[in-house]
Amino acid sequence: MVEEDALDPWQAGPLETVGRPAERVDARARARGEVQYTADVQLPGMLHAAVLRSPHARARLVAINLDAARSLPGVRGVIGPGDLEPLTAEPNYHGQPVAAVAADSFREARDALAALAPQWERLEPLLDPEEAVRRGSLIGEARRYSRGDVSRGLAEADVVVEAEYRTQSVLHNALETHQSVCVWEDARLTVYTSTQFIWGVRDDVAEAFGLPKDDVRVVCRYVGGGFGAKNEAGDYTLIAAELARRTGLPVRCALTRREENLDSGNRNPTIQRLAVGSRADGRLIALRGEYVCALGWDGWLPSVAGPMKMLYACDSVETVEYGAKLNTSPMAAFRAPGFVEGVFGLECLLDELAVRLELDPLELRRRNYADSDPLDDRPFSGKNLAECYRRAEPHWARRDEVRSRSEEPWKRGVGLASQIWYGGGGPPSYAWVRVGSDGHAVVVTAMQDIGTGTRTAMAQIAAEELGLPLEHIRVELGDSARGPYAVESGGSSTVSSMGPAVRAAAADAARQILEIASQRYDLEERVLSLRNGQVMSADGGSWPLEEVTGLLEDAQILGRGARGPNPTGMRVLTFGIQVAEVAVDVETGEVKVERIAAVHDVGRIINPLNAGSQVEGGIIQGLGHTLSEQRLLDPRSGEVLTQTLDAYRVPTAADVPEIVVELLDVPDEHLTNLGSKGLGEPPIIPTAAAVVNAIRDATGADVRSLPVTREELLAALKEARARALAPQAG
Amino acid sequence: MRGLSLRRPASLDDFEGRALAGGTDLVTLIRDGLVEAGTVSDVRALLPRGLDGTRIGAGTTLADLERSDEVAEALREACRLAASPQLRNMGTIGGNLLQATRCWYWRLDYPCFLHGGDRCHAREGEHREHAIFGNELCASAHPSDPAAALLALGATIETDRRSFPLGELYRLPTEDDRNVTALESSELILHVEYERPEASTYLKAMDRARFSFPLVGVAAARYGGEVRLALSGVAPIPWALGSATELDEATPLPGTAYKLELARVLVRRALERVGA
Repeated sequence: MVEEDALDPWQAGPLETVGRPAERVDARARARGEVQYTADVQLPGMLHAAVLRSPHARARLVAINLDAARSLPGVRGVIGPGDLEPLTAEPNYHGQPVAAVAADSFREARDALAALAPQWERLEPLLDPEEAVRRGSLIGEARRYSRGDVSRGLAEADVVVEAEYRTQSVLHNALETHQSVCVWEDARLTVYTSTQFIWGVRDDVAEAFGLPKDDVRVVCRYVGGGFGAKNEAGDYTLIAAELARRTGLPVRCALTRREENLDSGNRNPTIQRLAVGSRADGRLIALRGEYVCALGWDGWLPSVAGPMKMLYACDSVETVEYGAKLNTSPMAAFRAPGFVEGVFGLECLLDELAVRLELDPLELRRRNYADSDPLDDRPFSGKNLAECYRRAEPHWARRDEVRSRSEEPWKRGVGLASQIWYGGGGPPSYAWVRVGSDGHAVVVTAMQDIGTGTRTAMAQIAAEELGLPLEHIRVELGDSARGPYAVESGGSSTVSSMGPAVRAAAADAARQILEIASQRYDLEERVLSLRNGQVMSADGGSWPLEEVTGLLEDAQILGRGARGPNPTGMRVLTFGIQVAEVAVDVETGEVKVERIAAVHDVGRIINPLNAGSQVEGGIIQGLGHTLSEQRLLDPRSGEVLTQTLDAYRVPTAADVPEIVVELLDVPDEHLTNLGSKGLGEPPIIPTAAAVVNAIRDATGADVRSLPVTREELLAALKEARARALAPQAG
Repeated sequence: MRGLSLRRPASLDDFEGRALAGGTDLVTLIRDGLVEAGTVSDVRALLPRGLDGTRIGAGTTLADLERSDEVAEALREACRLAASPQLRNMGTIGGNLLQATRCWYWRLDYPCFLHGGDRCHAREGEHREHAIFGNELCASAHPSDPAAALLALGATIETDRRSFPLGELYRLPTEDDRNVTALESSELILHVEYERPEASTYLKAMDRARFSFPLVGVAAARYGGEVRLALSGVAPIPWALGSATELDEATPLPGTAYKLELARVLVRRALERVGA
């Protein structure tokens, strides 16, 4: 096996295929509706499951009549509390699964739910995260961090700014809802599922049913979006598997859009009480953050304090993060969980400080640049944030011109925010590359493409290493029985984890091809290379690849590759900056985001076309988070009110501004044989703060709560006007 | 939805059950169990469609109106700012006037006042999208943009049995009658006719640039020295405003106070637009 680190790094910049824009290899088939999503899976005799969910945020099931459903037409299986671990008689959030029915059609299954006639004793829900912290209703321990002496720093600071920021719950709302089709053959289970992590689903399901891991096969060819909420098997998969086991037939369990908005994960709300102390010249000397994350009934505590700890050089930092356990649906990872919220608070706080200091916000950030990791002084494997700042200058310099275009009632302004996130990936991940006698190559790995263009990027990497045109590469993925282990498509780690393994596998195959060529043409291997579908020799000779591979007949070349370790003693992070231009109607609180320039450093870019799409998608999703999306609960009962897409408002095409994407495309020389990091999450991270800082620049209003609704902005504008009129204090 | 039968009557005389035209609201209401209908009659092909001056066939789509130069600006703009292109291609003006509220409590079938219950869940609950007028018993907001425009344009409704001012189509729900429209059973709107103004406009505040129901919509139409105003999104029914000063009579809830601010600004701007 060729380990990735045995390979020479590619040169920087566009190569033959890598680094050049490539149309997605599956674009046409997807546009034509020819590919199979989980939603398209139809198996002979397949049943459809419907799930009875708690209508209350906290309740006890007093009675339920499972037998009444069993006798209805088309019903084949009914399960309730006690039959399967996720089904509960004491639900703790609105939408928690209680019972499930499998029937010949979804309609029959859904109609049978009514016959279950559940009776509830309602219990008082805990909904207030601050109250949960007071009562000690927490998921995990409070997470505390401290360096230096924050109290002293704040006491000695020339300027101190304190503010409280709040972020809302937003919902993933992927086009394809969470769903699985499960079928048993003997004691082995096949799961067709819409997932970001085939192997995680395999492990979850094997554990739930007490099976050897490889008795569970997970298939996922195409995914209609994940955004972090499809990292686990999920209750729906276990329900489908159990009903399939009981009925002996394949069972589909697919969430409806309403169920999707009730119980498929969410970005947890946060409350952030922040303080910053600085010298008069803008040097930060103390940062303090108290964070309350409203996690819901289950979940984990995202690193919402991460940006405060890691983004700027500051000797004294103290943070505490609480994960409030509440009677609301469990949070799930959502595109840079924690950092989206934490960067919003921190980067707004920095701009409020810049106003107080009368200092240029970009200059303030430069003065606090961290040359090494502020957590432990480790060197960065690659940090080009200063270059991102430099590249952002022309966009930032537009602000005088933008402001000058203000006209009553539209005020214009420009804001910026920095981005920090992980994205370096890591081992293990494996890939195989198979080359046959026709000189075409197949990349085989049991990863998934969640719609981000993974297939295309992996094909480009293999094509580059094998010197083959992109059309001669196929990528077979999406089946745990037909390929080796691969990383989850999350944490911006797909390309950075899988790409090096694919390159290593392709290099292993290339070496074997050259070995054969060396014998065929009686030349030393070291003078041979693969390029443009040819075997080339150093002295200018070239032969079609098929002439060599043709010798194989039915034999095959099999290359194998594995992802090696990350550099030891180094911090691997991604960085960037976004500059937003907004127009604000100061009378109605309407916000038009007119332009966003995004400059990110994520190492080598494999496919600039796809990378641009990722940045645009991240920004658009970030604008929804900033301006229009919020899950609303009934304040007393904790029941979810925004269950449909007319009430829960994702951005429309008309909400999308001009987006300018600039990617540094500088390989991280310490990271893998590619020097590539992930790009899925970085672009959503700074958008909210950049927009809110632009609103402040335009109007003087300090918005501290998301989303920036009309009522939120009108109140902030009113406060800003009152402040402007008040006699200057101190 | 079990047992729902769809009929395609040969003429309007054969019509029975619920009338289906564009279906953009009715289909979702039936699907969600909010409207009980054993029989639905597809009357799309039977409804008058198109314009005859200021007389509009009830089957005319919002897209038709939005694209027509001869339609008064307020109505055209109200149609243009409503829903999405796909919905406007399907939705008819007659159906639009009869659409149900987007109040989440009502849509989620809470036993609220409008559904015949004893209290309005929105008043004490989450109500940022709700009413600032006529909201004592039910705080739902009427979602139709064109209804406000037509109200300001002094429209008259012609049904298969009578004609009356558009204002009389709507009624605030009462203890005795929770309906917000005054049509009789199986009565069909066939035409809407408005009075051509000298100038008119429709302004709308919403949560995103497009495809959102109005937080506040303001229609203004000038007839000589008189300007008629009507609002959408501010009451359980489209709300005629006698004058800008009537905004002082609003009864906003804690979460809808901002709507009054929006209404004041949009009314002022609308009056300026029509040259009041």
